Amino acid sequence: MSPPVIFNFNDAKDTFTASTRSALENKTSKPLINAFNQITGNETEKKTTLDQALRQVLEEQIVEKKALVDDFLSLIYLSIDGVTEGICSATTPFLLLGDVLDCLPLDQCDKIFSFVEENVSTWKSNSFYTAGKNYLLRMCNDLLRRLSKSQNTVFCGRIQLFLARLFPLSEKSGLNLQSQFNLDNITVFNKNEQESTLGQRPTEEKEDGMEVEEGEMGDEEPGTPAPCSIPIDYNLYRKFWTLQDYFRNPVQCYEKFSWMTFLKYSDETLAVFKSFKLDDMQASKRKLEELRTAGGEHVYFAKFLTSEKLMDLQLSDSNFRRHILLQYLILFQYLKGQVKFKSSSCVLNDDQCSWIEETTKLVYQLLREIPPDGDKFATMVERVLNTEENWNSWKNEGCPSFVKDRPVDDKPKRPTRKRQAPEDFLGKGPDRKVFMGNDELTRLWNLNHDNMAACQSEKREFMPSLEEFFEEAIEQADPANMVEDEYKVVHNSNYGWRALRLLSRRSPHFFQPTNQQFKSLDDYLESMVIKLAKELPKDLPSEEIKTGEEDDEDNGDTLLKESNDSPSMQAKQVTNQQMDEVAAKLGAQWKTLASQLDMKAAEIREIETDSEDVDMQAKLLLVCWQEREGTQATVDSLITALNNAGFPKIADILNET
Amino acid sequence: MGPVEHLHMSVFSQSFSPCGRFLAAGNNYGEIAVFSLSSALSPDATDMSRKPILTFTAHEGPVFSLLSTDSHLLSAGNGEISAWTWAELIKRNTKAVWTRRPNYKSSLEIPEINAMTINPTENSLVIGGGDNNLHIMDLESGVFKSVLQGHTDYIHCLSVRERESEILSGGEDGAVRIWDCRTGQSVHCIEVYKYEDCARPQYGKWISCLTTDSDWMVLCGGGPYLSLWHLRSLSPTSIFPLSGCQRQATFYQDMILSVGEGQFVSHCLLGGEVKAQIPCTPHSLNTLALNLNSTENRVLTVGGSSHQIDVFANLSYRSFSLAF
Repeated sequence: MSPPVIFNFNDAKDTFTASTRSALENKTSKPLINAFNQITGNETEKKTTLDQALRQVLEEQIVEKKALVDDFLSLIYLSIDGVTEGICSATTPFLLLGDVLDCLPLDQCDKIFSFVEENVSTWKSNSFYTAGKNYLLRMCNDLLRRLSKSQNTVFCGRIQLFLARLFPLSEKSGLNLQSQFNLDNITVFNKNEQESTLGQRPTEEKEDGMEVEEGEMGDEEPGTPAPCSIPIDYNLYRKFWTLQDYFRNPVQCYEKFSWMTFLKYSDETLAVFKSFKLDDMQASKRKLEELRTAGGEHVYFAKFLTSEKLMDLQLSDSNFRRHILLQYLILFQYLKGQVKFKSSSCVLNDDQCSWIEETTKLVYQLLREIPPDGDKFATMVERVLNTEENWNSWKNEGCPSFVKDRPVDDKPKRPTRKRQAPEDFLGKGPDRKVFMGNDELTRLWNLNHDNMAACQSEKREFMPSLEEFFEEAIEQADPANMVEDEYKVVHNSNYGWRALRLLSRRSPHFFQPTNQQFKSLDDYLESMVIKLAKELPKDLPSEEIKTGEEDDEDNGDTLLKESNDSPSMQAKQVTNQQMDEVAAKLGAQWKTLASQLDMKAAEIREIETDSEDVDMQAKLLLVCWQEREGTQATVDSLITALNNAGFPKIADILNET
Repeated sequence: MGPVEHLHMSVFSQSFSPCGRFLAAGNNYGEIAVFSLSSALSPDATDMSRKPILTFTAHEGPVFSLLSTDSHLLSAGNGEISAWTWAELIKRNTKAVWTRRPNYKSSLEIPEINAMTINPTENSLVIGGGDNNLHIMDLESGVFKSVLQGHTDYIHCLSVRERESEILSGGEDGAVRIWDCRTGQSVHCIEVYKYEDCARPQYGKWISCLTTDSDWMVLCGGGPYLSLWHLRSLSPTSIFPLSGCQRQATFYQDMILSVGEGQFVSHCLLGGEVKAQIPCTPHSLNTLALNLNSTENRVLTVGGSSHQIDVFANLSYRSFSLAF
């Protein structure tokens, strides 16, 4: 017997490295697969060695600095092929990607990332997904950390979109589960003129749709803050930008003092928006066209520009207004909405609610007035906010997954029946008690272990009879008693409501159409009381009541049956005892009954295999039928089936019990 | 000045200082208040900055008209004109430099002076008032050079066309007269109420305000609608559908701003439509002034039947109010 071959790591690695290089040159993974198969050793050992080899090749390529992005990509493709062939472990492509992205500058990372994006379907496939998703997540987060949100907005967006496509919606790491706010998003604005920053920064950012200025901007030398050359409304400026703080952290609104400030500033700002109507300037439309056709992309800036000199221009800009008004709507939705993570002190009082209502109307009106297409925009906003409600409730439920589980099919029936608990437990034993495992529970449960029957028992009948309820009213209706109107119990609204409910359940008069117009509930009740009085048994002292109204002869008693009749015996559930008796009688002929009970052939076979004893089989058949039918497993239906199967005698037994 | 007086105060006239940093306003109690615009517009303005830096009684009766020359503030009320230098006023020295009175025919009744305007080519002051005549005073000498007669009822408003050296005056008699400065004769007389488009007979025929822009003239009455007239052809080109009486109007860029009855400032386009009506504090406005003397304090101020004067830094909304 030859000693077990020791796996030589270094040799194997060298072989793999060489074959990797040849694979890269020839653009095929065959050499690698051949090498893999030739080397003797354990699968796992070989795989890990190949992983190492691939990483080493990559490292050499990176260190060389001459390699192009395409070379890295071909190596990674090779590793993917390797995974599909089963020669390297599933995490290797991700490790390689991570290595590459860590070592390359951002512009090359861009190209690598395009590769990642294109292969999203590969990553989502079964063999890769579980192994790689954490690596991918970490890799993307590292990239995001390196990127600047305002400079590389598009790249950041691509990464986010990729993550969104890769992970399911309910992936917890991507969700803001606690509904937290980005408290770091502070809007800075000038508190005094010396801090004015306009004129110091190179003015690259342009606002879309800049309207014709109303003021003149003095020529400013870049680098020195120029003296202000247009009148600036600091009052409005400060109040306006202070509002952004409330949008950043809405929880402040629940405090009284902050709320008052918010209220005041909002009212002023919205009054300004209201009086300062925007024109649908044709000139600005042309400018927009020019901006777009000049090859400029739609400019996006992450934060508001808050220089006071821009205030006038910003107020004349429709997009800016839309931003602010939309912020209001989002804030209001949060304040009014049910969010699981709001603390219990975050409740709005009535005044606040009514202010929010009014202001919401005003905001929508202002939105509609903003050209162009104000109406369309406002309806769209409304619809979007409505759909937000759905997402909100989804979050409140803890973000359940959207993947529906396949409905369970018939298969599990076999184990349940095999596992049928001893009859004692289910109340089928001789005691007919259900043991709950605890004495007290057992006692309680067995008071009546059929819930439906318990609910229908006489003791739970809480609805009073017409006589009892209206006794007092009838007495009062008797003119001989001379009860004054205000003391009549029919004028009590509480009584009236209950009276109506009772009448609808018990009295056929309720459904009789009459020609009389009743001006109020009290009048209606009085007339009903009088009608009832006439019908009730004559031992009440009010039989002498003069009514003066025409009698509606009614055969209405037959219209309404008492609703608490006990169910006829035939509609009762089949009891265990009955089932035992029927089974005993059926014996070996249970199969005939089985077809009447709509048992499938498969089920019949199962019953046969389950038990040798025919009585038992019959019993099992009935149990199975009862399980399937549930509440429909009535004596009636069993009798019908028995009769149809040709067992009238057994049916009779059931009839007798 | 107690709260009751404040309640009944009306601002009738305004004028900006030549440097543009101060505003003088005259009210119906005969007082003139001087406000510092630069401090009211500064970033660290407080409520105190919106109060006048100086208030003094200028006349016995209401101050109907205020005017600024390069160095002086002229105010007119009950029949007399007083002048102060701005420099002294800023130093809170309220001593008038001179006070003069035109020669009125009868010395029994002293007619009020409703309007004043300066004719820069001749350096003269034109005054119109209750005695149905225009008086022209030479600013250097202080002598009343001439009297222009022609109106049959008192004069409400005056304006000067510099290029043609003409004076326009509108009065209670519904007539707008165009006078030639040198000859002193009434060159044209437009009786606005006779034009059907403009006339609102239910309001009478009097002309309350008048302003020119060389070729164009905007006038409005108590009587006729606010309308834009072409002066060469002497015909109305646009008529603005503003209700009520407009008491002051001015041309600004390509718009006409006008104030009058109604709690708003109307922005009208030359074509005849009312572009916007910006709400403001006083319920009814008497005076409107644009500060063109300074770029950083270039604001619009309006005053009327309230002790507050609204300041508009951006013409489209009210920024804040100065208060007497």
